[in-house]
Amino acid sequence: MSDPRHTDQRPTIFVVDDDASVREAVSNLLESVGFDAQAFSSTEGFRNAPRPDAPSCLVLDIKLPGANGLDFQDALARAGISIPIVFITAHGDVPMASRAMKAGAVEFLMKPFQKEDLLAAIRQALERDQIARQQDTEIASLRSRFDELTAREREVMDLVVEGLTNKEVAEKLAISEVTTKMHRGQVMRKMMAPSLADLVRMSDKLKSRDRG
Amino acid sequence: MTEDAIRRYGMAAAFVSVAFVCTLFLQRFFPYPFLFLFFAAVMASAWFAGTGAGFFAVLVSTLVVAYFFVPPYYSWAITPTAISYFVGFVVCALVVSWVSSERRKTEEALRETRDELEIRVSERTAALMRTQTELARLSRVLSMGELTASIAHEISQPLTAVVTHGQACLEWLSGNPPNLGKARLSTESVVRDGTRAGAVIDRVRALFRKEAPVKDWTDLNQVIHELTVFLHNEADARRVSMRTQLSPALPNVMADKVQLQQVVMNLILNGMDAMSGNNARERELVIRSQKDTGDQVLIAVEDSGSGLDPETAEKIFDPFFTTKPHGIGVGLSISRSIIESHGGRLWALPRPAGGAVFQFTLPVGAGESHV
Repeated sequence: MSDPRHTDQRPTIFVVDDDASVREAVSNLLESVGFDAQAFSSTEGFRNAPRPDAPSCLVLDIKLPGANGLDFQDALARAGISIPIVFITAHGDVPMASRAMKAGAVEFLMKPFQKEDLLAAIRQALERDQIARQQDTEIASLRSRFDELTAREREVMDLVVEGLTNKEVAEKLAISEVTTKMHRGQVMRKMMAPSLADLVRMSDKLKSRDRG
Repeated sequence: MTEDAIRRYGMAAAFVSVAFVCTLFLQRFFPYPFLFLFFAAVMASAWFAGTGAGFFAVLVSTLVVAYFFVPPYYSWAITPTAISYFVGFVVCALVVSWVSSERRKTEEALRETRDELEIRVSERTAALMRTQTELARLSRVLSMGELTASIAHEISQPLTAVVTHGQACLEWLSGNPPNLGKARLSTESVVRDGTRAGAVIDRVRALFRKEAPVKDWTDLNQVIHELTVFLHNEADARRVSMRTQLSPALPNVMADKVQLQQVVMNLILNGMDAMSGNNARERELVIRSQKDTGDQVLIAVEDSGSGLDPETAEKIFDPFFTTKPHGIGVGLSISRSIIESHGGRLWALPRPAGGAVFQFTLPVGAGESHV
């Protein structure tokens, strides 16, 4: 497992609990093991706080004044905000835990929880966020490279990744084979694809993101 | 003719005879015969002896009147001038008889309906009382559960903080060099949150103390009797034969009746629980009351259940000790503190024939708190 403390961007852990002493204690524990913690007494506080450009996760109490933690999880998902959530609760039951986990929570911990359990859940959450962020960055970069292609180059790329030879592409687009080779070289250069296999993988990623 | 019919027709004849004798007697003083008395006889016959007797009275009256009081006297013949008078009498007699018997029937129907309603009302009342008892029992169990959940939540918050600050403190100390300033702050938080958890427990204690016992002269036999009535269905459902051996000369004690009800009910339900595993052995529960040596009464609940080994017998009164799969383990501990707050003693011993006896004593005197 990669240790989040050694990445160049320090991860931030958001803590939302209406109980001041629990909030303070969790922040203290997280600081003692080297995390940056930001604690809020309400979900509004968290919503209004700026998100740093670093892996982050949310330690969320279920029972909050005004908003139920589980409902807040749904609200975040509807708003398109993806942040891994670790739930902590003093009175959880199986239906609550099942609902939280189905909605994508990383862990559901009963208070009082063990340090190891909380930290393991947080590390897992950060890793999940890290992977999601990496994917987002990679897709964004691919997208910007793809945007630089000309219309003809895109057509060539689409056919090449389908497995057509240069000759077949040339016939299909009614252009010469030499011109096709030239476009293909441009595509490989602009997309920074070392091989045809890499180009196929990039194309798949772009398409999967378009579908999603 | 049945005996009842003879009685009823005899009654009608008697009423008419009385009317006849009185009319004969009154005729000495008045120029016209007092035929109204026959209406009264008809009315009384129809009312007390039924419709048939009423019409029988009409018939007898008509014959008597025709013979004695309608000219020519002492003859069945009737003079033409007296015919309308005689017919008027007969019609009136018939109407009186009919009205009287109808009225009587209506009244009887009403009374029957009322009696039936009373029976149904008392049945419903009994059913409602049973439901209410069951609800009271359920609500006690529920409120216990809710209370436990709420206390657990109130305590688990500061406890979480204590544990977490403690772990953070260890982390600050294990650094190289250790961060003593942060460790100190963490320890201070441990002390503060631990104190807060203590305050929650104090509040819970205060909550229980608020329910000050209301002591009054209490008949323990009555308490036991009421409970056996209430728990009759429960015993049947669990196939337990529940008996009482109550001393008729049991003195009253100064006690909180509701609290003692809780104790006895708890002992009875525990006894039933202890016998739930009796498949071959008979499930027998006996509740005894007696005047004990010294100035105290003794109540014992005996079961023929699995019994107690000496080790368990020591622990069963500890708070949160339970042998039941779904028990909380506070029943006996609360029962013992209730009995002790009444200056009595609650203990358990093995029953010679197998099973266990739970018994408590209460002082007959003032029953002042000895705590």
